Amino acid sequence: MRIVSQLLDVPSIDPDDARRRKLLNILLIGTAAMTLLILLATGVVDVTDLIGQDETTSLVYQGSLVALAGILITFVINRYWSGGLASALFLMLLTVIVAFSDEPRQVVEGRSMFLFAIPILMASVLLRPWASFIMASLSSLVITAIALGTLRIVPPLPSMLGFFAIAMGAWLSARSLEQALKDLRTINEELDQRVEKRTREVAEALSRNQAILESIADGVIVFDRDGQAVVANPAMTRLLGRSYDEITSRDVDTLMGEDVDAADREVVRSFLEDNTKSHAGLKIQWRDKTLSVSFAPVCDHFGNVTGNVAVFRDFTREAEVERMKSVFVSIASHELRTPLGAILGYADILQEGVYGPLSGRQRSTLERIVVNTGHLLDIVNNLLDRAQIEAGTLTLNVAPFAPIDLLDDVLGVMDVLAQAEGLELTSHVADDLPAILFGDRQRLYQILVNLMGNAIKFTDDGTVRVRAYRSDVDHWVLEVSDTGRGISPEAQSYIFEPFQSVDESPTREYAGAGLGLSIVKQLTDVMGGEITLESKVGRGSTFTIVLPMVPLAWSQPSKTKPNGLS
Amino acid sequence: MSSPLALIIEDDYDLSNIFAQALQSAGFESEIVRTGDAALVRLAATTPDVVVLDLHLPRVAGMDILRQIRAEPRLAKTRVIVATADERLAETLREEADLVLVKPISFSQLRDLSARLR
Repeated sequence: MRIVSQLLDVPSIDPDDARRRKLLNILLIGTAAMTLLILLATGVVDVTDLIGQDETTSLVYQGSLVALAGILITFVINRYWSGGLASALFLMLLTVIVAFSDEPRQVVEGRSMFLFAIPILMASVLLRPWASFIMASLSSLVITAIALGTLRIVPPLPSMLGFFAIAMGAWLSARSLEQALKDLRTINEELDQRVEKRTREVAEALSRNQAILESIADGVIVFDRDGQAVVANPAMTRLLGRSYDEITSRDVDTLMGEDVDAADREVVRSFLEDNTKSHAGLKIQWRDKTLSVSFAPVCDHFGNVTGNVAVFRDFTREAEVERMKSVFVSIASHELRTPLGAILGYADILQEGVYGPLSGRQRSTLERIVVNTGHLLDIVNNLLDRAQIEAGTLTLNVAPFAPIDLLDDVLGVMDVLAQAEGLELTSHVADDLPAILFGDRQRLYQILVNLMGNAIKFTDDGTVRVRAYRSDVDHWVLEVSDTGRGISPEAQSYIFEPFQSVDESPTREYAGAGLGLSIVKQLTDVMGGEITLESKVGRGSTFTIVLPMVPLAWSQPSKTKPNGLS
Repeated sequence: MSSPLALIIEDDYDLSNIFAQALQSAGFESEIVRTGDAALVRLAATTPDVVVLDLHLPRVAGMDILRQIRAEPRLAKTRVIVATADERLAETLREEADLVLVKPISFSQLRDLSARLR
């Protein structure tokens, strides 16, 4: 097949030219084959001497050889030089063959006249559509010449008109054929351009996405709907120290294997199975690395979930820094508390008169030592609490307790302070509140001491009241209100931030590092509660803490352990 | 009749002094040891009426000392006051210790409580 097409095809920039030259080649080869057959048949007849040597036979020999030579020359010209010239030569050769193919009379007005139609028709497709008219003219000239020169008769006008009629038909059909081919080519070209443009766009988008994926510092794995890893980026291979194939050929369970402990594996699996929403900030331990993982469902154009994309960030250093920070703070706090305890102890010994009675000034000086050391101890304790809350190591010690006892205890401690300030202290536990609640009694105590301490500090005269009641089926409320100086709306916006104290006056009449309320807020958060403040300057403040009846520490145990370090 | 004996097992110099002073104020004769192994040596030789025991001690842990006291019939009448900063640990010792105090412990608190153990 390739040899045939190599023989027939002529390379050309113009597709019409290529088509015509190919067609000419087909005709040439066809004609050559026919001539060879005639030559063969004549040869057989000649050798077997069936009809004897005559003039016709030698004429056929000579004609055939001339025709073959012409065909060969035309073929070479067509192939290596010009298709138009070759076609013209071929058509003229054909016309000459037709002119000499029969007796002159038959050619001019008899049976062979219509053989001229063949080159006329061919001209329209081999050269240009209008070339059929030239061939019609040429054929007319040939028969006119034969009629006048050989037969000496009037040239047959109807034959010539017939030639032009054929030329007209050939011209029309060849023209519409060429037009159709041209249209087809235009359509093809447009289609090619469009395909090329699309291909380029897709390739660009792909390479852009690929480049982004490859340059992301975080590890990325795309999982299909069955939890099979299908794509991973280079950062991921570095993070896990595995090759691309080792990651992508596995499902999520095999991928994690023994490198991730069972509890973390379970969480990852449940997040992957939940295709409805994104999950962020999960921290897992992957061998010696702490990884922060987030998952998001991947959707197609129609909103169908096709899988999940997981982003892994190396959190090892941050986790270590966080851990060291909290270790540092707790060690520092512990180291600070020990000498503070000793100071208070020695002061206590002196105050109790163990080493003899004290003078009035000695006693009051000692009192200031004790009060200030107490302040310092509170600050250290608050810092330790903050460090624990921030590091997520603060765990709630949830147990049953009686709210009425809690309030009595707080009042017992705060009463001394309130009396010293000349304030009235009241407490009320509503009847609808259960006698036994669940929660971290010690932390609730801490919250109340902080709130009531503030209330007493900022109330010049009047009442500080603490109430416990049920707000709805699932919640109960601790409320501390006072008739103090109140908190300005501006101060209300930052009062729960750490290191903010409402009293920013240069004298700092009311000492404190401004940690108390931020710890109250964070403890409330840890318990799954909510704290709100209502206050009017000059009228007083009310802090309301809404707490769940079922403590958070029971319903969501993972909340107090956000990063697997403790 | 001689004063009852209190053994203060506490590694912190100041705290042990304060504890000893509190016990003395409560009418005890007090003796201080600052390491776990020294405590075991003293407990083998004497029978204190009260032991004030810190749980974080060098060499021998306070918990082990507590168990050894409880396992020794000779020390059956010895009252043990555990002093610790660890609230959780304190919770678990309610059965074994006679008294569990969470640090910081004030002088007067310890003096008043130990006076009741006489």
